[in-house]
Parts: sequence; C-alpha cells; structure tokens
Amino acid sequence: MKIVVTVKLVPDPNAEKRIDDSTKRLVRTGVETVLNPYDEYALEAALQLKEKAGGDTTVTVFSMAPEALKETLRKALAMGADDAVLLSDAGLEGSDVWASSYAIAHALKKIGFDLLIVGGLSDDGSTGATPGALAEYLQTPLVTNARKAEVADGKLKIERETDTGYQDVTAPLPCVITTALTFGEPRYASLKGIMGAKKKTIAALTVADLGLEQPVGQGGSKTQLLSFAPPPVRGKGQVVEAADGPSGAQAIFAFLKEKKLV
Amino acid sequence: MNNVLVYVQHKNAQTPKVTFEMATQARKLADQLGGKAYALVVGAGSSTLAQTLKSYPLDAIYVNDDGDVDTYLLDPVIDYLEAAAKTIGSALVLVANTLTGKDVAGRLVARLNAGVCADATDFKIEGGKIVAVMPKMGGAAITNCELRAGDYGIVTIRPNAFAAHAGGGGATVQAIEKPAGKTYSVVVEKDVEESSGELALEEAPVVVAGGRGLGGPEPFETLLKPLASALGGAVGASRAAADAGWVPYSLQIGQTGKTVSPPLYIAVGISGAIQHKVGMRSSGTIIAINKDGQSPIAEFSDLLVVGDAFAIVPELTKLVQAAKS
Repeated sequence: MKIVVTVKLVPDPNAEKRIDDSTKRLVRTGVETVLNPYDEYALEAALQLKEKAGGDTTVTVFSMAPEALKETLRKALAMGADDAVLLSDAGLEGSDVWASSYAIAHALKKIGFDLLIVGGLSDDGSTGATPGALAEYLQTPLVTNARKAEVADGKLKIERETDTGYQDVTAPLPCVITTALTFGEPRYASLKGIMGAKKKTIAALTVADLGLEQPVGQGGSKTQLLSFAPPPVRGKGQVVEAADGPSGAQAIFAFLKEKKLV
Repeated sequence: MNNVLVYVQHKNAQTPKVTFEMATQARKLADQLGGKAYALVVGAGSSTLAQTLKSYPLDAIYVNDDGDVDTYLLDPVIDYLEAAAKTIGSALVLVANTLTGKDVAGRLVARLNAGVCADATDFKIEGGKIVAVMPKMGGAAITNCELRAGDYGIVTIRPNAFAAHAGGGGATVQAIEKPAGKTYSVVVEKDVEESSGELALEEAPVVVAGGRGLGGPEPFETLLKPLASALGGAVGASRAAADAGWVPYSLQIGQTGKTVSPPLYIAVGISGAIQHKVGMRSSGTIIAINKDGQSPIAEFSDLLVVGDAFAIVPELTKLVQAAKS
C-alpha cells in the first residue's frame, strides 16, 4: 500500500502573528518555518497504518512550497516517512485554494497513492476546503476528521468526528482522508530517525511536470485578496479590584447593563 | 453570479441556527446582486424542514427526501448541489463553516471550478463585485477577499456572524430530481449524535468559559453552568481544562479547539494565553474574572474583575436570574 501525506510549511504557530503596520503583511522576520503542526497528526496516522500493515507499505510526504524550505521536510522523514516530493515553482506564488488544490491534485496523480492523508487544519490561512477539492480532482472518496482508521480486505474502516457526534464509515481505496487531533499525538523523531533522514530522497516537481490545462498562481486564481489588515485594536479595558463576591458581581452586572447585555 | 444558493445542512430536519442566518443573508445578497435566493435541502426530513424555511425570505427551495443522502457520506449531497447550481445557471453558494460545510465547500471548488472564501463574517457588494470579509489566523488579521467573475463562487459562513430574521417568506418548494447514473461507495454504518439538546458552542449567544483557575471538573457544573443557563448561553473551556480531563474536548475553545464569536464572552480563571485568545478574541464583549490582575487576558478584555471567581460567580448568577424573572 502506498500512503501519501500532504504537509504544509507554515510560520511557527507558537510565535504570535503580527501584521506590520506599514507593509500590511505578516511579520515573518525571526519566525521559523515549521511543519504545520496539524499535519504531523496526519503523518502519525500514516506511520501507524504502515506499522500495522507491514509488508511493502510506504509513506511518502508531499508538500508545495518554495525550494528554499526543502530542508524543513527532513523532520517528516526523521519521524519515519520513507521519502518526500516537493512541488516548487515561482508560477505557483499567490495561488488561492482553487489553484493550489488544482496543482497539488495533478502532482498527486503523478505520484500515485492508495491512501492520501491530509491534515485537518492548517495553522495559517486555513479554509478547510483543500481536502475536498483534492478528493474531487482525484476522483476518490473523501472521509474527513478520522479519529481511528484501519485497512481490512482492501477497504478502509474509519471512525470520524462529525458536527454533532461521530460516525463509523467504510470506504474503498484509493481514498482521501483527513485526521482529527484525537487520532493520536505525533511521535518525536528518534536520533536514529534524524540520522537516517539525511539519506532519504526529496524529489522535486515543477509546474511544467504537471500538464495543467488552466493557469495557476495569482493570475489563475479565482479569488483575490484585496486587503489584509490587523483587526480593530481592542484597547485594554477596565480593571476592577473586587474586595468580595458581591462587589465583584455588582461590577460585572452594572457593566452588562450598560452594554445592554442583560 | 447574481443568484445565491444556500446549502442546508441538517439531520432529520434538525438544522443549526446558521441555516437561518444564511437564508436571511442570501436574500440581502441576491437583492444587491439583482438575482434570486435559493436553498437546497436533501435527505430524510427535508420536506419538513422546507416548511420551516418557507418563513424566511427565499425565492425557491429545492427539496428531496432521498435516503441515500443519509446512507452515503457526502457524495450524494455534492451531486444534488451541482444539479441545483447548474439549474440556476450561475450562483454564489453559501455553506455553513462547519465540519460538514468545509467538506462540501472543498468538493464544490473542484466540481464547479470555483473560488472559495472561508469563514466569512461580512460581505461587501460593490458594482456587482462580491467581497467576503474574513478574520484569519485566529483573528490576527481581517482580510477582504474578492470572488473573481465566473459562473460560480463559494463562501463558507461563520455561525453567529449574521442575523437571522424570519419574514418575507413565500418561497416555492420544488422537488429536485435525483441525479441519474450515480453510484456511491462511502457507507455510513453508524451515526451517533452526542450533543443533542445541548446548545452548540459556536452558536451560543453567550459563552461562559473556565480554565485552570477553576482547579477541577466540579466548578464547570456548579459554578459556570448556572451562570451560562441564566444568560441563555453555553459553557466552554480553555485547553488547560480540556487537557486536564475536566471537560470533554468538544468544549475546548482556542487554536486547537473551537472558534467562537458570541456577543458576550465571560472567561473565568483563564489566563488568556495565545492558544485560547485566537479562539475567542472576535467576541463582542469580553469579561474576565481572574485573581491575577497581570494575567495576559487583561490586555484584551473589556472588563477584568480581579477577585475570587468562587465568590463572584454565584452572586452574579443570582443578579442575572433576578433581572430575568
């Protein structure tokens, strides 16, 4: 079984995101690029499935990112992925959800897979729409928010979270799934894994390899970002020291009344 | 793209409030764009739900009680939506920004070869141009995103961001034919509802959330729940409280949990780490109760009361109850 995991490279989510007042862009200076933390859950799911399946099951990591960020993928290889493929092309810059999904789907078609695992969320401009678009372009089923998954008799059995509870579903392969954070904490890379990752292959793809019929990048996108600005400043509000319960409650109650919230 | 089509997510006619918010907004958008407002309701119970939807200002509601929608995961819904979109000719499709809605929106991006704007909290329509306003990166940025001209566009809608008003009804309810020649393979073997009767956190008008400062699971029941009930809201929690096992993860608000923007948010014993802040900072009014006046939450709450939550909350609950009765 060939498992492919897509990962996104994002600015370190533990750094507070700030918009530069003059450039109106996200401040990236001094912020490290890391694997999208949610995608590490997808990779963990892939590695668990590989361990269970054994045999000739492989895990390939795929990312679309500038070539300069290539080495960030070593972390995924150190965690246990067998190899990686990086799609890089200046012509992809500014791609929206449609254009990225369209390009990524064509790359994945080229790579081939039995099971594609996509992280459920991304830590930057998240839309949650990419997995659905990929499944559609790849003409495979889509099962999102999996918290348990097993492959038996060439079929997938998945327990997935829903808006109001959970479901058990079965799906044929090939299939696209996304993982919920409840699937299990991502493992740490072992020292052996880190050493081994240095020898693993990171193959390169460019737009020219994909045979796209529609333009991508900012020009080909179907949405256009008009502005990107910090939210209205939420000034520091009032601070009231409450000597006891009743006085604290009175302060809040008066505030609620003033705001017409009670 | 002058018509608007609302996808109605439901189970046996039970639908989240955001459906009615979208139906109301669809009318406004259709009027501004010079088109009509439609809704699609498919699956068991759809005819019943269509009757409720009729009191909202839509022009037509497409309905099919097709049981395949409930037996198979997602795929039949996409075929119905494609059929409805093609029947209408050109449309802006509105989908709730829920787990299901995100899947639907993604599939439609490819199926309709269309752009998507996700988690919209407002619209600006200028000269036929559709611009969605969306908080991004946990509210660190507000983006304005335009759907470029084309036959279709998709916008997912944040629950609780738009008003719902019944009235101006009179929509025709029309049967929509089951798309022909389709086979489905992803089978829903078991479907379990866990939150029935509970007010969904994302849709609650008031959220009373607790954190590490509460010290254990009991205060969520004895302290927060009565206040939330008195205010007509729901109880939430910080990651610290969920990680400690005091509350289920479904109540967690923040980066790895839910994003809420109720008109009123009350944070009790929550320090206000970034993890939590990004899930709630777009709330209308934020009130914090904390014993530490220097905690980070002081920087983004409208009112911080420094004191003992165990003494303050019960008194506040009494005041609210008295005001309501």
